[in-house]
This record gives sequence, structure tokens and C-alpha cells, in this order.
Amino acid sequence: MLTGLGAVAGTGLLVGALPWLSGDDLARTVLRAREVEREPDPAVLDALREQLDLPADPVRGTVSWLGRAVSGDLGTSWVSGQPVAEVVPPALGVSGTLAGTAAAVAVVLAVLFASPAVRRAADGRADGGGAAGVLAAALAALPEFVLAVVGVAVVAVGWGLLPTSGFTGPEHLVLPVLALALPAGGLLGRVLAGAVRETAGEAWVRSWRAAGVSRSAVQGAVARRALTVVVPQVLLLLVGLLGAGAVIEAVFDVPGLGRVALAAALAQDLPVVQAAVALLVLLGLAAGGAGVLVHRALLGPAGTDGGLSPELPPPVPRAGRWAAGLLAVLALVVLAGLLRDPTAQDLGDRLAAPSWAHPLGADALGRDVLARFGAGALPSVGLALLISAVVLVTGVAAGLLGRGRAGLADVLNALPAVVVGIAVAAVAGPSLAGAAVAVSLVAWIPLAVHTRTLAAEVRASGFHLAARTSGAGRGHLVRHHLLPAVLPPVGRHALLRVPHTALALAGLSFLGLGAGAESPEWGRSLADGVVYLERAPWLVAVPAAGLVLLGVAAGLVRTGR
Amino acid sequence: MSRPAGALLALPLLLAGCFAPAAEGSADGGQRLALALAFPPVAALSPFSDDAVLVTRMGVGETLVGLDEAGEPAPLLAESWSRVDDRTVTLDLRADVAFHDGTPLDAEAVVGALAAAAAAVPAPRSIDGLGLTARAVDEDTVEVQVAEPDPLLVHRLAAPGLVVLAPSAYADPAAPDPVGTGTGPFELTELRGASGATLTADADHWAGAPELAGVDVTFPADAAARTAGLRAGELDVAVNLPIAQLPTLTDTEVLSVPLPRLVSLSLDTADGPFADPGLRAAAAAAIDPQPVVDAVYEGRADVAEGLVNDDTAGGLDRPEVTLPRATDPAGANIRLATYSDRPELPEAAAVLAEQLRQAGFTVEVVVAEYATLETDLLAGTYDAVLASRLYLGDTGDPVGYLAADLTCAGSYNLARLCDPAVDAAVAEAATLADPEERRAAALRIEAQVLSTGAVVPVLHERTHTGYAPTVSGLVVDPFDRLLLGTETTVEE
Repeated sequence: MLTGLGAVAGTGLLVGALPWLSGDDLARTVLRAREVEREPDPAVLDALREQLDLPADPVRGTVSWLGRAVSGDLGTSWVSGQPVAEVVPPALGVSGTLAGTAAAVAVVLAVLFASPAVRRAADGRADGGGAAGVLAAALAALPEFVLAVVGVAVVAVGWGLLPTSGFTGPEHLVLPVLALALPAGGLLGRVLAGAVRETAGEAWVRSWRAAGVSRSAVQGAVARRALTVVVPQVLLLLVGLLGAGAVIEAVFDVPGLGRVALAAALAQDLPVVQAAVALLVLLGLAAGGAGVLVHRALLGPAGTDGGLSPELPPPVPRAGRWAAGLLAVLALVVLAGLLRDPTAQDLGDRLAAPSWAHPLGADALGRDVLARFGAGALPSVGLALLISAVVLVTGVAAGLLGRGRAGLADVLNALPAVVVGIAVAAVAGPSLAGAAVAVSLVAWIPLAVHTRTLAAEVRASGFHLAARTSGAGRGHLVRHHLLPAVLPPVGRHALLRVPHTALALAGLSFLGLGAGAESPEWGRSLADGVVYLERAPWLVAVPAAGLVLLGVAAGLVRTGR
Repeated sequence: MSRPAGALLALPLLLAGCFAPAAEGSADGGQRLALALAFPPVAALSPFSDDAVLVTRMGVGETLVGLDEAGEPAPLLAESWSRVDDRTVTLDLRADVAFHDGTPLDAEAVVGALAAAAAAVPAPRSIDGLGLTARAVDEDTVEVQVAEPDPLLVHRLAAPGLVVLAPSAYADPAAPDPVGTGTGPFELTELRGASGATLTADADHWAGAPELAGVDVTFPADAAARTAGLRAGELDVAVNLPIAQLPTLTDTEVLSVPLPRLVSLSLDTADGPFADPGLRAAAAAAIDPQPVVDAVYEGRADVAEGLVNDDTAGGLDRPEVTLPRATDPAGANIRLATYSDRPELPEAAAVLAEQLRQAGFTVEVVVAEYATLETDLLAGTYDAVLASRLYLGDTGDPVGYLAADLTCAGSYNLARLCDPAVDAAVAEAATLADPEERRAAALRIEAQVLSTGAVVPVLHERTHTGYAPTVSGLVVDPFDRLLLGTETTVEE
């Protein structure tokens, strides 16, 4: 309760302080949202300022907002003049439908992707990835907006099976849910398969099999045990999707909270942003708490001291060679691209199809796609790997230090990306470093929650209890018991998220954050190329293939043991 | 599956009731048209916001006067008007007009509507700060007066922000509600937030009963969503289609209308490299708009000869432009900013940047959403700004644009130009009453401005409206305010 109030007040203050951080005049941004082409005449701005009674400073503004919010008055939007209570809750309901269905579908997909691993574990064999694993890793690397646009072009326009946009009935759910759930399901599937593999090494599995427990019973138990790790991740995904689905909501014209929050944040319509953020933060805390509780409930009585016995999983078959092979292919293409000029424009070759002159085609300005692919590799992959390493360290540290409660991570996860982005852009200035900071601020959270979940299991294990009762210090416990059990799966998880991080870097470019406008960075190329999907599919296919190769290779890399 | 996980999966079923409200079925027969407009209402269709143009485009609300193709006032709700003196005009209202709620359009209703607009904060752009007052002379004559002599008084009444709604619409005078209160061929019967609106034909409209029975409007902000809806046959008409996707529209027609909208490169004359007139001249000489029009706009725009297009110039000669003597850029560093809200601008900026590089500049291109850029654009953070501007404003007159964008005190002066000669010329042009004289003055100012090299005109845009082959009778409006009329119809 106190945490919740503190979080709402804190984030409310952050939102309230945005105009002061960014230095943008509130009256001007509000006027801009109402009338795009209107000149910001000083007399008009003064009149507007007086009419809206804009707060004198962020602290006073936030305190009076909090006071009114507690008594149930969310105020009215500065832009539209409508009561916030009539704008934000319906949008949250729509986003809730979308995010909830997407999260449920992602869980189903994850279970399907992990089912070969479960079967093998129940048979006492090790899982090395297999076709399901490769597919899951590939899906995890696919950008949501590319899936969305391809879905519209093929299923809605091409086949005429589903509506292209709108959100008035269940038929409108299918395409957006698939766009959101396929990558999420792929990622969760890989995490789940990893958890299954760890579970397979536990002594009880051997005992059950030796005792002749039926195969399906062992499979069920293994799956349930492994799901304990994934459930908090699903809740994280669910809340994250609520406020951050602006891109998908725009593609499908869904009147959801992501778009409301985005438009309001850009217009500095503080009453709307503060209400949206407060709701999301409370939901985030509730979901974080629920994640912890569900994890405990799934572990059951085994979750108490000494009840679990995590052990070394059996050695995996060598999948590393595949990863090396894929990376070599990627490296070769990148090298070939680096030998060419990524900046030379030739408008005569606009959208030229692949040919000898342009082996992978040309973009809208006639620039060579192969050359841009090569030149974009370092800024995309290099920076994403660097960020992944940083957030791995942060995430593991935060997950180990946290005491198994919902906290800062859940609050940050619930914040719409645009709010974080604007805050960072205001403080750090629009730059690539700013984008890296904004992405890092959020990217550590799933890893921290993963660590938190795994650490809770280790702390409940017999060997941890034994070490603790025999007087082992905290450092010893962390080094010898927690880290060896936590690092490999969390490290793998971090690798799986590398392509996603590369995309997130480009996703903030509308705020001026990230690589420059003419940068060949992959995420940027994808975003620029997606309008030409049907006229020049190679503009989308090439960087997307790069991300997928990277994702599959990352998914196959062995971490530890 | 275990119980908690099962409960998790059941969660969405609880939420599944939360969809956007659907249009209420209207099975009263007749043809309905599915229309996608370009942006969702920002203020529940209050005409004192950008939503005003949605109200007029849907054919829901009408203004006292309209603008003809030359930008001159044409009769609409007012049948005729006469100037009393240089700050007063009387308008005779059309006789047989009723609002959609049944009340008649009389002088009192018009006076109330104009008074609400004049009192709004901020007032609609065309009348802001003029001290506009209105008075009923008799039942169907209105007298409108402003504080200072104003040659454009009648033009101003054509602004979409001044649509006349029924008295019942002004329950909240700051945010009039056009639901059921317009006078246009279509009655707005339902507005569903940002997701859609339902229109029903007004069979008693003064210009005759519309051919259509009604219109279903959606507001997809994403241009690709509008294109896809049109291609999938879900929409009959979709506005503001992106040029990049027009070639994919094989089974639909595209209506391209030249707009009074200029894309130009403004060079920061106050500081940085372009404070030097020689470098501005070098940049102006380096810019070649033709490749931008041919490649990025795929021929669907017109190379700009000056700030205003030939329609606005109205056959008058453009005075000659003489640029200062160009100096060698010698690798001068410049930052060129543009915004991604208009999809073609980032590509155009990349082409122009390359042209400047060929001429010897070192160019960095900055692209972001307009909302995050505006403060910096106006503060002169960037050396060059590629922007798109409507130059005929709400009144069909270019002098207001020249004053706002190119004078010392102008509030949207991207080039930060401060030239006393230009200021004096603009001030003088604003006093002219004859339309042709005003245009001639605008062309002289255009030549004066271009001769400073502060602004490099690139192209004039067109608007692209896609429609199914079964649709006919769309209204072609160079001011982009009208779209649906009584003759608009869709076969089958």
C-alpha cells in the first residue's frame, strides 16, 4: 500500500517534471496538439496559459494532482477538455483485452515450443534446442511492427480473411495479437525450454522415472516445475504491453492506452499522462506482487527451506557449432557489405530489385542495401551486445539483492517507453547514448525478475540451507550457490534479447534519440523500409533476416557448463 | 495445466468485453459510404480546434461563406453580403436553412455562434485578436464588425473554425458539440471517441437531399492503415494517402489536388554559417528540387518556382530574384532538421543534404517527431529546417503567412529573417483591399525574400485521396476543407 502510494507519487512527480526537464513550453505543446499549423503567437500562448491554469512548478502541480486523484477526481485533459476518467479507463480496457489475449497466446506458444524439451526431459535425455528451439529463437528476433504490417498485407488485404483495422469485435484481435504474441511466445518458449533443462537434472525426476511413474505424469510435473520460472515473465509482459503498444495500436487503429499515452506525452497533456502512468504503475505493482505469489503457489510446499534440490543439468549436445556456422554466414555478408559504399545515392536506382549492381537491391534513395547492411551491423549488433552485457550485470545484481517483492523493477516496467524516452532525452539530450540509456533503463527488468525467481528457488534448496546453517557468509552463498545456478539461464535469456534491444534502440528515434537520420542501423532501416513492404520487400527482409540470424545464433550459444 | 496458470489464461476472457464501441446498426436502406479521415478528433470535434476541418470535410457543419477556387468568398449559409465600411459587413442569411435539431438558422443563432468563437481561448486563428462582434439586424441579416479596418473581413468568415451550429451546441461555449447541431448535408448522429463517427443524410438540406443515405467515418492516424482498408474494400474513400503506397492501389482511383502547401528549406539567418549571405546563396544554388519531386514524391508534387504556387500567383508575373554573390562553403558544418510526421520529408532531407554535400557543405541530418522538435526549430538550434507550410491559412490570403513566417516579429519565423524592407512591404500589403493587388504585393515580397537566400522553395504538395471506382461526386477543394456533398454517391 505504502509502496504503491510512493510509486504513484514518484512517477507522478517524474511526469509532472517532464516539461521543466525538456524546457518545452506547456502552453505551446498543448496548442500544437489542438491546432497543428497554428503559429505560436505570444498573446495566444498567454491566454491559453491563463485559461488552463498551468502549474507554477512540478512539485506543487503534482501535489495538488495527487490530492485530487486520491479523492477520485482525475481532472480534465488540457488538450481536449474531456474528463480524464472518460478517456483513460476505456483505453486501458481496450489495451487490457489486447495485452491479455497476447500474453495468453504467448504462454500457449511457449508451452508448444518447449514441449519437445519436456518430452526429452521426461525420458531422461538432454535438450539441445532442436527445430522447435530454432524456430522459437527466430520468432523472438522478429520485430512486432514487421509482423503486423506483413499480417495486414497478406491476411487482410491479400486473402481478405480478417479486417485491416479497427477494434470493435473479436475478429479484430487476431492480427494484432499474433504480431505481439509470436515474438513474445518465441522468447518465453526459449526461457521455458531452458528451465525445463535445468529441471531435468533434479534428483526427483530420476527417482520418479526409476519408480516407474507414468511418462505423462513426469512430463506434467516437469512442465509445471519449469513454468514457475516463466509465470512472472508473462505478467511482466502483460503489464509492459498495456502502455507500450503504441506502434501496434497505430498500425491497427486500436484506440488503446499506448496511443493515448504517446499523444498525451508528446503534447505534455499532464493530467492524462499522470492518470495513465498512475494506473499502469499500480497495475505493474499488482502484477509484480501477483508474480511472486503465483511463483510461490506453483512451487507449493517445496518452496520452503530445504524443499528443493536444484542440480547440474546433464551436459547439452553440442549446438555451439551451429551457432558458429550461422554467425560465420552473417559475418561474411557483413564483410561483403563493408567493402561497398553505404552512403552513395543514385535516385535512378530508387527501390531497384536485387541485381548484379545491387546484390540485395537498393533503397528508396538508391543506396545499396548490402552496403547498408554491412555498415549497420556494428552500430546495431555491437551496441545491442554492449547494452545486453550491462543489463545482464545490473539485472542479476538487482535480482539477487531484491528480497522477493514487487518493487522498482515492476514500476519501471509499467511506464510507457515514451515517458522514459522523453525523460532521458530531456536529461541526456537527443543522442545515441541517450537511446542506450533509455533502453538500458528498461531492459534489465526481465533479467532481474528472472534472477529473482531463480534465486528464490535456490534459497529454498537443501544445499543453500545447509551452507547457511553451517555459517556461510552472504558473499560465499552468492558466489558458490546463487550465481552458478542463476547465471547460465539468465545469461541465455539476455542473449535472446539482443535482437530486441537492437530494435528498441531504433524505436525511440521519433524522439530524436538514437542513431542519426541517415544511419544504416538495422532497426532504422527496417522502420524506414516498412512503407515499401510490397514494392521492395528486400528493404524489410534483409535487416529482418540479419536480426533473425543473430537471434538464432544467440539462442544456440552455450552459456556455462 | 495447473490451476494458477489456468486462471492466468482465463484472465483475458474477463477482459474480453473491452472493445471499442461499434457503430449502431442503421438498416434504413440506401447507400452508405465508408470514409477514413486522416486524424482522430483531438477535442471531440469542437470547431475551436483542428477538428473544425473534420466537421466541414464530413459535410456536417457549414460556414457563412465559402472560398472559390481563386480563394475569393462564395455564398454558403450567407446568400450575399455588403461592406458597410472598412470594418463592417452585413450578411443576408439563406432563407430555408434549418439545423439538424430542427431549429431554424436565424440571425440570433449566427450571432451566438460568432460570439462563442470570438470568446474562445484561443479564438479561431482567422479572427483571433480582431475584436470581432456580431449583431442581429433583423431575422435574417447579421452585421459583423471588427475593431480595426480589415480588407479580409469576409474571407475570415470562411474559416472552418467559424462553422455555425445550432444554439443547443453551445451548452459549453468553450467546446461546441456538433452532434445533431450542424447544417450540412449530413447530420452527425454519433461520435465514438477517437474510433469513429456515424453520419445520416439530412433529406431537408437546403441544396437538396444527398444521394447517400449516410456515412460511416473512421479516423485511422496511420496512413498505411488507410491504404490497407481501401485495398481490402473496407473503405470507399480514404484521404491523405502516402505517396510511397499509391502504386499499390491498383483497383482504386486517386484524386490528386494541388494544395497551397509549400515545402521549403529555411536557412537560419541569425547565426551559424547561414548568417553569411554568401553561404546562403551557395546553398540556394546547390539545391535542385527536380530530383526530389521526381524520385521522393514520384512526380506527384510540383517544383516550387516561388513561395506561392501558380494558382495563387493567378497569372501575374513573378519579379526577378537576384541572389547575393555565392562564397565557397569550404566544408562548413550545418545541421539540417526535418520531421517524420509528413512521411516524405525525411527522404527529401536526405536528398537535399546530399546536394549540399556535393556543393562543399558538411551536413548532419536530424529527424524526429514534430512535437519534440518545435521548440528547437523556432529557437534556431538548427542551421537549416526543411518544413511544410500551408501558406493560404484560413482566409485564402498569403499575406498572413508572410507576416508570421518572414517578418522580425513573426511567430513562426524558421529562417529567423529580420529584414526591415521585408517587414515594411508586408505591413503595406496587409492594408490592400483589392485581391489582385494583394497577390501582386505578395509576389513582390516573395522575390524580396528569395533574394536574401533565407528561404529556398522546394516544391508544392498535393493531397491524395483514394476512392473506390464505384464512388462519384466527391467535392474537389484546393483548400482541403470539403470532401462530401449532396452529389457524392457510391454505386451498388
